Amino acid sequence: MKNKILGVLLLVAMGVAKVPLEDRVAATLKAADLRDAPIPLSLQEAMGQMAFTAALGGLRSLVASITYLRAYVAFEDRDWGRVDSLMTLTTRMQPREAMYWDEAAWHMAYNAATSTQQREDLRAAIRNKDFRDYVLRGLKIVQEGLVYNPNNPKLLVREAEIYRDRLKDPRPAAEAFLLAAKNGAKPFYERMGAYELVKLGEPPDLQQAYEILKRHYDKGFRYPSVLRDLDILERKLNIPVGQRVGQPLPPSPQPRRK
Amino acid sequence: MSSASTRSAYTSFSPGRIWTMATHTVTQLIRMRILVFMGIISMVIVIAAFAFPAVSPEQQLKLLKDWTFGALQVFFVIIAIAATGLLIPRDLEDRTLYTTLSKPVPRYEYLIGKLLGVMLLLGSGLLLMDLVFSLMLYVKQSLIISSQIAALEKEQAATPENIAFIKDLNSRFGLTYSLHGAVWAIFLKASVVAAVSLLISCFASSTLFTILVGIAFVIAGQGQALLREWFLDKMSGFWQKFLSGAIAVFCPDLTLFDIAEPAIRGEIIPLGVLTEVTGIALLYIVGYTSVAYLFFVEKEL
Repeated sequence: MKNKILGVLLLVAMGVAKVPLEDRVAATLKAADLRDAPIPLSLQEAMGQMAFTAALGGLRSLVASITYLRAYVAFEDRDWGRVDSLMTLTTRMQPREAMYWDEAAWHMAYNAATSTQQREDLRAAIRNKDFRDYVLRGLKIVQEGLVYNPNNPKLLVREAEIYRDRLKDPRPAAEAFLLAAKNGAKPFYERMGAYELVKLGEPPDLQQAYEILKRHYDKGFRYPSVLRDLDILERKLNIPVGQRVGQPLPPSPQPRRK
Repeated sequence: MSSASTRSAYTSFSPGRIWTMATHTVTQLIRMRILVFMGIISMVIVIAAFAFPAVSPEQQLKLLKDWTFGALQVFFVIIAIAATGLLIPRDLEDRTLYTTLSKPVPRYEYLIGKLLGVMLLLGSGLLLMDLVFSLMLYVKQSLIISSQIAALEKEQAATPENIAFIKDLNSRFGLTYSLHGAVWAIFLKASVVAAVSLLISCFASSTLFTILVGIAFVIAGQGQALLREWFLDKMSGFWQKFLSGAIAVFCPDLTLFDIAEPAIRGEIIPLGVLTEVTGIALLYIVGYTSVAYLFFVEKEL
């Protein structure tokens, strides 16, 4: 009996001693950015009891991949409401996984928005409203993702593409492309940012675009789009003729009539 | 050899005896068809490697890692609980325990040997699974890179800049040192769970009880962060605080070993973090085994 009492006392003593050590390891993990916040209890209802318990049991990644695959099935069925709710669950479980935010935003701003545009059973005004709502939903998702993953190049590129392709707003598109390039995205996206600056037409923007494109030109990236925009910029910025390198795009051939 | 020389050769702590006990435990567990579990995990890895061709390349790699680490975690924690829970009752049933303890083998050596045997099995199993997983991930990653480069060549966009980007991206989401670190963390977690199960089996009356209480400990250990945040900080009721405090004191915080998620995400796990995690695991293992000994030494056999 004496040993058993000693055992219980040792267990209690170890328990009391381990708590500060556990806190220390937890703090180290947090400092190294290796520990996510606990799953919000509010997710329990949306996830179901089993999935919530599994997610609590250190299987968040696995549960998130299951909800992601379910969202993919819903995407194949074009059930956009379900895609949105399942991708929301997925991103809530793994908020630090930029890929999930990116894909959730792409589903809404591109797939759902385009799908609603193709619906002939809706009046044009409703179609346009739905289209804009889905695009804004996609934008909201990617911006929320950027809160958890600040300056993530993948998410910044997605944000820029939504502004450029869906909202036709070159200013924030240019800002996001340039920020993405600064944070490790392909150098190609810096050129994308410059192309958006060209669309703005303000002198400081044109100057910045010229500097970027000239730098890329000097590095050997002499693609038709670079030469085309350099030509526009050189003329607008009055660059001396001797220093000009831009070339207008050759006129595209007219289709021949039979 | 005279009895006097035998007595002088006898030591109260013998690593050799512990090793014999550990290897015997490994044989005993292999006979319990533990290897079937590993076969199932290998199948999960192979299926996960080729089951999701429709999603993006990075997602394919992520899903392979998610499913593998999920399977490793579930199976090895179950193995740790079930194998350890079965050991002492099986030895009692086979009467091996009586023949072992009737020899000059101290009870702590018996317990350490048993735990070491389970840890050996867990370690070698995880090493094997890590090799299978690494091979599959490497093959998958190489296939994805070559198919992406082929697609770029087809579009006449295979610039050195694009190829370097693809290689860099895929290697970040592919096989990294941190993934092995995450496997190590799963080994530590399973070993801690084994030590807790050993403690429970020292006072439990049945295997089922050991397994059920072991599972309850794992659930409580995984919910520690939530318990501390929710009950200890936010709730004011005395009993709620007392219960949460008791769980925090008696259960190991198993969330400290959950580093697979950032490793899957492609983040680097520093060696210092792994060292600290290993240190806390050792503390748990030594602590729970010592308590187990104090219970086992008085157990009537």
